[in-house]
Amino acid sequence: MDTNDKGVRKIVDMITGFARSNSLFMLAYGTGCGDIEIPPAMTSRYDWERFGYRKMATPRQADVLLISGYLATKTLKRVIRSYEQMQEPKYVVAFGSCTINGGMYWDSYNTIKMLDHYIPVDVYINGCMPRPEAVMSGLFDLQEQIKKGEANGAQKYRENLEWYRGNQKKVIKNWVMPEYNW
Amino acid sequence: MEDILKLLGGAAATMLLAFVVGATYGGLVRKIIARTQNRVGPPWYQNFVDISKLYMKDTAVHHGVMQHIGPAFAITASVTVLMFVPVLREGGWFPWFENLNFKGDIIFLIYMMVFGSLGMALGIGQTGNPNASIGVSRGLSMMVGYEIPFVLSLVSVMVQTHTTSITGLMEWQTQNGWLMFEAPFAFITMLLAILGMFHYAPFDIAHAPSEIASGPPSEFGGKYLAMMMTSGSIFAFAKLVFLVDVFMNGASNLVMLVVKTLLLYMVPVLYGAVSPRYRTEQAIRYLWGWPVFFGIIALIYSIYI
Amino acid sequence: MGGAILAYLAKRITPMLSSIVSFLAISSAAVVFFTMTSSTDVVTVSVRNFTLQFGLNAYSWVFAAMVMGISALVSLYNIAYMSGKDRLGYFNLNFTLAIMSMMGIVFANDWISFFIFWEIMTWSSFLIVVYNGIDEGKIGTKYMIFSAVGGYAMLMAIVITNSQIDSFLIADLINAYPTFGHGMQAMIGILFLIGFSVKAAVMPLHVWAPRAYSDSPMSFTAIFSGLLSKMGIFGMAIMFISVFSKASIGDTFIYSQVIAWLGGVTAVMATFYAVIQKDAKRLLAYSSIAQLGYIVTGLAIGTKLSVMSALFLAVIHALYKGILFMAVGAVERQAGSTNLEQLGALIRKMPWTFFSALIAAIALAGIPPLGGFVGKWMLYESMITSTNPSHLFLVILIFLSSTAAFLYVYRLLFGLFLGQEEPEWDHVKEAPAPMVIPMVLMALTLILLGYAPGLLFEPIANGMEFLGFENVGWQMSSLSNIWGDTVDMQYVWGSVVTLFVLGAIFITIKNRKSTRYVTTKDIHTSGEIPEAHENLTYAVDFYKPFERAIEPVMRKTMDFYYNHFGNGLESLFGFVRKIYTGNGQTYAMYVVIFLVILLLIGEQIFK
Repeated sequence: MDTNDKGVRKIVDMITGFARSNSLFMLAYGTGCGDIEIPPAMTSRYDWERFGYRKMATPRQADVLLISGYLATKTLKRVIRSYEQMQEPKYVVAFGSCTINGGMYWDSYNTIKMLDHYIPVDVYINGCMPRPEAVMSGLFDLQEQIKKGEANGAQKYRENLEWYRGNQKKVIKNWVMPEYNW
Repeated sequence: MEDILKLLGGAAATMLLAFVVGATYGGLVRKIIARTQNRVGPPWYQNFVDISKLYMKDTAVHHGVMQHIGPAFAITASVTVLMFVPVLREGGWFPWFENLNFKGDIIFLIYMMVFGSLGMALGIGQTGNPNASIGVSRGLSMMVGYEIPFVLSLVSVMVQTHTTSITGLMEWQTQNGWLMFEAPFAFITMLLAILGMFHYAPFDIAHAPSEIASGPPSEFGGKYLAMMMTSGSIFAFAKLVFLVDVFMNGASNLVMLVVKTLLLYMVPVLYGAVSPRYRTEQAIRYLWGWPVFFGIIALIYSIYI
Repeated sequence: MGGAILAYLAKRITPMLSSIVSFLAISSAAVVFFTMTSSTDVVTVSVRNFTLQFGLNAYSWVFAAMVMGISALVSLYNIAYMSGKDRLGYFNLNFTLAIMSMMGIVFANDWISFFIFWEIMTWSSFLIVVYNGIDEGKIGTKYMIFSAVGGYAMLMAIVITNSQIDSFLIADLINAYPTFGHGMQAMIGILFLIGFSVKAAVMPLHVWAPRAYSDSPMSFTAIFSGLLSKMGIFGMAIMFISVFSKASIGDTFIYSQVIAWLGGVTAVMATFYAVIQKDAKRLLAYSSIAQLGYIVTGLAIGTKLSVMSALFLAVIHALYKGILFMAVGAVERQAGSTNLEQLGALIRKMPWTFFSALIAAIALAGIPPLGGFVGKWMLYESMITSTNPSHLFLVILIFLSSTAAFLYVYRLLFGLFLGQEEPEWDHVKEAPAPMVIPMVLMALTLILLGYAPGLLFEPIANGMEFLGFENVGWQMSSLSNIWGDTVDMQYVWGSVVTLFVLGAIFITIKNRKSTRYVTTKDIHTSGEIPEAHENLTYAVDFYKPFERAIEPVMRKTMDFYYNHFGNGLESLFGFVRKIYTGNGQTYAMYVVIFLVILLLIGEQIFK
């Protein structure tokens, strides 16, 4: 079978997109107050399992990194490490205004303001806090992006690693990330 | 040559069947648990989507050769068990599913069933993840717990029917009726033992996701996790077919097979859906309590009947 | 064959100075043995009015072949293992002596030479047990006391036998046994069994074994646990099969029941102890006791299948326990520790040792398709098909023990070879070739025996026919029980190996390029970064939940009872001291009382 053939390619892409978008294993990085919105989204009120979302416990198994609030520089280090331990393809969903512009921590000396400068974010969900409906609508957007093949944050990260690393090192003073990290 | 081809074809067909049915059951179980929690639950084909996505996942890191071949141990064990268990009773479509049914017996299957867990445990050990090792310690301890009633039940059945091969058991049942009714205590023991065997609540402490980060598979992602899930689906089906063969005289066609296995599968699933979780030592003590008591009654019953 | 025996005896003098000489002596003896096996001459040596007879028969061939084959490999291992240690002459003399005395035991056709070699074996192994100098007063004394009790029991039995039939030949005892009185049969039987049970470490007499196994040099422990304890099995099999089967029926039943259950209890308790050990050597020592429990049970059940399984397990156990002790010895020599809570992740440093230990562990756990499964299968089937209801309950004990064996097997492999890599063990390298080659060879033998167990069935069946069974059936690769159910090892082996290879290939070629090795520090730790010196391995109290579950049965050890027994003895001797008043008249009275008692009950005993 010629894998470069356009028709075959399209079908393969369709299947891949379907499988990837309908089975999102989440690693919820519950910082700040945002993590409280995830249990209602999981349990009987909103039940996100019906769309194939599932919470996983470790970065090795997960596809989606959910970041649910402000990130202190100390926490950012852990987030970066968790993100780098995840296996490709991987996506980042950040919610709450804190991840977008620092939110109420705008003036804080040890909180990062734009998460996008440190790890590539595929979907931002606005709000303080976003309700479970908003969280799920953000995840639908992610699904659409995956289907179209646009959710390529990981690729961006790999290509612009220098830039991301520079930003990361700027805020994280004692950079002792080990060699094997990436 | 034709024999070998037939064997290989049958084996492939059986594996496919086992995978499809096992993964569907996996989806149904998620659905059922969701319904008991007043949720909608994922579609029935969710496990297929998950498994194919995991096979498509790109990178995979490993911590050494034992972790790399650990899932191979698991799939070896589950497929071997499947090959030696008669999927269908003789007659009808039987020739397709004959596989290696006449080459092994129950004692062999009992041992083959633990081959996978031990191999997986070795792979898990190499990752060096403390959560995973804790899970292994719990899982293996629990295994000692449920193996005893499991074996007691099977031994009493074997003593009662004077045969140790599954095909022999099925012949006996064709003449004398289902062992479920002929050996009631053995069946009760088995029902209690499979609660532990399928690792649903309350015996799911080895895989507790929020406590020890899903335990044993916590360092396995991508193709490793996919292979483990495939093997898990096949293994669940193989175990169910084995139990149906032993206690319900197998099945003569696929529909009956699905009905019987699903009924049996509902016991641990429904019990698990409404149960909290035992600690390991509580689980072992529970499994060595009433189940063993019923097992001993079953053994006495089988000797003096 | 006589020449070979003389050669062994002569070689005892030579292997004084180095392990190499001892290896050469043993391996040349092995070569002589395996090339001359066809001869079945009997050598008779007459010393005044004693007749000593040496010779080989089909039964002792099994044990002789096992002893020679394995000890030749172990002595090769010994060269590297013992290099650099002091008092080598002392060690190797005793090492060789022990092996040669085992050959003497299996070659002996009369009780006198049997007993002499037995005592040589005990003494030489005692000297090795104290060689390391760890706590030798306690361990050595324990071993010596138990061996002495066993030895004297045996000597008494031999003397009584001789007084009855005026012959020391083993064959004569077998023939004359049915003619003895009831009490005499029981007494001889029990005395002999005590003698053999001590070496086979059956439950109440096992106390010496854990420390003696774990504290002697590992190259000897491989022999000690693998072969030396099998001498007890060797004797027991003769007693059970040739002798007791001819006793009056009630007796046979009671002996075999008691011993079978003792074997089962031994297996369970020793396994539980093995699970909670922290030291690899101790773990293996307890595991040896447990495995010997299976063998004793198999012998005591006494059907064709069970005896065959017992003898098969005896050989297989010598193989896998030999490998495991040698692997632990290799780790000890390379890393300097055998503590399961501290060691870890030696798999990348000692891959060959790991491979052989893995194969041995799988065989020990009885998982198909290796040789260990064959033995276990026959044991279970013989119990399930047994007509005796008590064996059906016994099978549960054996199953419990063999399931719990997975726990310690995993603990051993995990503790030594898996887990987090630590800088502390970075210097460890693979053991030298003379240590690795015997282990790998024995591991390959185990794989082969899984495919074609018939290779081992043949001599065992011949031996059993010599012992008195008729028509011992066996097939090259198919096992069957008396209900006619079979397991076809060829298919099992083929299926497992094919699937495993296919699975391994599949998982390797899938994304092969992007799959890479990362160190064990790169694990999910909730984003925390472990530093190089931080050890995250979960190894301390590994089976704590299991320990908690089995706590009620583990409270009191056998040692506890023996200590009480010792205290009791001390006060008894205090009492005895009161009897010996030093007054001549009192002594005279004792003599009279003793004579009266003798007159009263002597009639009963010495009929």
